[in-house]
Amino acid sequence: MRAIKGILLTCDSAVKQILLTMNEKAPFVIEDLDEFHLVIKADEEYRVRRELEAELEKNTYSLEAN
Amino acid sequence: MAAKRGAEASLESSSSKRPRPTGGDDSYRDDNEAEYLSDPAADAALVPRAATINFSALTRRLAEARRTTNTVADESSLDAHRRQQDSLVSHIFMDQDFSWLHLKPDHASRPLWISPEDGHIILEAFSPIAEQAQDFLVAISEPVSRPAFIHEYKLTSYSLYAAVSVGLQTEDIIEVLNRLSKVPVPESIISFIRERTLSYGKVKLVLKHNKYFVESSHPETLQLLLKDKVIREARVVTQQTDTSIKAATFTTTKAPVKGNLVIPGTKEAEKKKDDSTAGRPGAPAVAGPTDAELFTSVVGVDGDEIDEDDDNVHAFEIDDAKIDDVKKRCNELEYPMLEEYDFRNDTINANLDIDLKPATVIRPYQETSLSKMFGNGRARSGIIVLPCGAGKTLVGITAACTVKKSCLVLCTSSVSVMQWKQQFMQWSNVTDRQIAVFTAESKERFAGESGIVVSTYSMVANTHNRSHESKKMMEFLTSREWGFILLDEVHVVPAAMFRRVVTTIKAHSKLGLTATLVREDDKISDLNYMIGPKLYEANWMDLAAKGHIANVQCAEVWCPMTPEFYREYLREQSRKRMLLYCMNPKKFQACQFLIKFHEDRGDKIIVFSDNVFALEAYAKKLGKPYIHGGTGQVERMRVLQWFQHDSNVNTIFLSKVGDTSIDLPEATCLIQISSHFGSRRQEAQRLGRILRAKRRNDEGFNAFFYSLVSKDTQEMFYSTKRQQFLIDQGYAFKVITHLDGLENLPDLVYKTKDEQIELISSVLLANESEADLGTDIRAGEGDLAGTVTSKDFGIPTKFPTAQRTTGSLTALSGAQHMSYVEQNKSANKKLARDAAPRNKLFSKRDKERAAARKESRSSGRT
Repeated sequence: MRAIKGILLTCDSAVKQILLTMNEKAPFVIEDLDEFHLVIKADEEYRVRRELEAELEKNTYSLEAN
Repeated sequence: MAAKRGAEASLESSSSKRPRPTGGDDSYRDDNEAEYLSDPAADAALVPRAATINFSALTRRLAEARRTTNTVADESSLDAHRRQQDSLVSHIFMDQDFSWLHLKPDHASRPLWISPEDGHIILEAFSPIAEQAQDFLVAISEPVSRPAFIHEYKLTSYSLYAAVSVGLQTEDIIEVLNRLSKVPVPESIISFIRERTLSYGKVKLVLKHNKYFVESSHPETLQLLLKDKVIREARVVTQQTDTSIKAATFTTTKAPVKGNLVIPGTKEAEKKKDDSTAGRPGAPAVAGPTDAELFTSVVGVDGDEIDEDDDNVHAFEIDDAKIDDVKKRCNELEYPMLEEYDFRNDTINANLDIDLKPATVIRPYQETSLSKMFGNGRARSGIIVLPCGAGKTLVGITAACTVKKSCLVLCTSSVSVMQWKQQFMQWSNVTDRQIAVFTAESKERFAGESGIVVSTYSMVANTHNRSHESKKMMEFLTSREWGFILLDEVHVVPAAMFRRVVTTIKAHSKLGLTATLVREDDKISDLNYMIGPKLYEANWMDLAAKGHIANVQCAEVWCPMTPEFYREYLREQSRKRMLLYCMNPKKFQACQFLIKFHEDRGDKIIVFSDNVFALEAYAKKLGKPYIHGGTGQVERMRVLQWFQHDSNVNTIFLSKVGDTSIDLPEATCLIQISSHFGSRRQEAQRLGRILRAKRRNDEGFNAFFYSLVSKDTQEMFYSTKRQQFLIDQGYAFKVITHLDGLENLPDLVYKTKDEQIELISSVLLANESEADLGTDIRAGEGDLAGTVTSKDFGIPTKFPTAQRTTGSLTALSGAQHMSYVEQNKSANKKLARDAAPRNKLFSKRDKERAAARKESRSSGRT
């Protein structure tokens, strides 16, 4: 019997899509529950959060960046 | 210390968003603690609220930790508390911590803050004397951002040159600034103002007998300039018979004298004005109608002082071709050249007998802008910035009627050439033979010695491939002196083209007109030396409040992407991404809902889409007429007419063609579904479509401007960028995340998942080229690239090509999984039933075409 520590993520559908695309590059999703919930590997949590933040930041316009 | 404390306290209250309790240490702690506690709670609950990881909360927490370690040492004394407060605030402002500036005791009644470092001025627009302060600030600095309550201005060299050229004195500028400022004007700013204003106006660029001269009444200054390599090389040395030292160096003439000048169209307004200020109609307007002693005394000064006591002026000639480099060089040397034209004393160039029609009355702000141009009785070169729809054309025409010399008008496309000509005929008494047009199609010359020529930038700047006729026309243009050159839409002209125009055409004065002085390539500063300083920039909000332009409510509607669309969006790396976020079914629904909502209110709606594929899809799905580049002339006119006169047609869809060329004063609501990336100019232009709404003077009338944006896509980025210009003008964009009642709308489009999936497959099937923007428009000859003002979009009319397919009868009749789909038809077609009978000529051609087709089909079969 092998156990993996997992974390339940609740997210909106758009973020879930981003996570799924990220998952294609480096798998971390354990289970795709429904439209708003995912179970991911616990030790990947920090990396996933950071990458997601970077991804979302791309669509934000800030005066400094200009 | 007391003053400092005060400064800090008010700084804090005016700049931090969250009101901080000032009771004591404890309440402070509580506040922080609560915040501190709430954050880990959110983080620990494995599920972040919106699944966006709150980095700002993290940094806040780190800062919090740092602060608490700082305060361990000293406790509870009031001093310590202040110190703590100090460090709290300083930390936030970092390099911009100016708490060391001493506040004046009566600072509360003064409206300004001046930043000692970069010359930014912050104005409290809610102050009782803000209006006068604004008049003053507009004269001496450039507006950066003007939202409702806090305005930002910036002192620049150019703005100070402009201030001096309208007659303000260095000491007066400093004095008034000091009176308005909450803190004493910083030394650095004072010396900046002194430096910039003292050298200004010493050197003039004048055009005499078709040659350029650098003129000054201080020979030393000219000597100094000639030491510079660039200027020395540009100098044209003429043979001198005189051997005296001075004459050998410079030519010397009498300085010009001024008299009184009246700008036409302002006479009526002038009469009402105080008699004491009459005689000089221009200058007093700078201060506005308020009689506040302080400002009229300073802002309304006579413009004569810049003139020197010396009656003699000295000059040297420079090469036409190098005029531009010299100008730039002089600016760098901080001896910017003043370009003024004493047109009333110009006896060499023939006068042009034109005037505004008696019925033409110009609006107060137009008068103000012109008074800046003719402030001291001469025509000054520069740029006037007015919003779309605020009558830029009339300002230009009035200026031409004031100068009354030969005038060259340059615009961006051949359509605006015709518009300018027509406007000239409408507002002034210019006769048909005095005004000529120079475009690819027509090359006219005016009759008589003086007149007006209207042309495009590219026609004049073009250097190769000229027909004989246009060559001759160009010779005509370059061989003579122009009193006045009007440059329409200055911000769009490429710098190189501009330079060619400015160097080939010899004009005494130049006026640039524009609505949006922003460029995506930030080459605005080039305009400063090529034309001149910004003379006037209207405040959009002011004009809206006074009813000259419509009040507009702006909103950004966030439409979530459906999971299917978003998945494809993330996978797609090409330009097709754009198509995906345009065709988002939620956007369809939002669009449908808004159209329904505003049609019920009785609004006339324009829907804009840069993307033609999306445009057609939306229009067909929602059953509304549309116009894009491929729409034929007849159909287009018909659709426009319906929109204007038929109460059943309240919505039309327009592609990029609608940005500028189609004038629809009926429209009161505007919805944007796709746009040209982050173009701030396009956003302003589109807003301009509804600024001149016919109903703008109705009580409580509001026009509406919506941008539909797909959430979590690049569109969010572009949309925020696009809004920046309008935000700086004081417009506030509301964000709508949810349209109330959207779900309950009867016959909502793409409601079911099946329909949405069908839509996505159609998008995925589309060619990549469909994602291109503005493909439906082709620029006409002589139009600037990227300007869309052409009425004739010039789509090649293709003969319908015959399609041949082979197939068995069973397949064609519906067996073998072939099915026929009913598609939405264009609403244009439905409305086209009452088409006029074809002209004989055309019906004959149609018949021939049909015959040809039949023939080719029969020949193909054999």
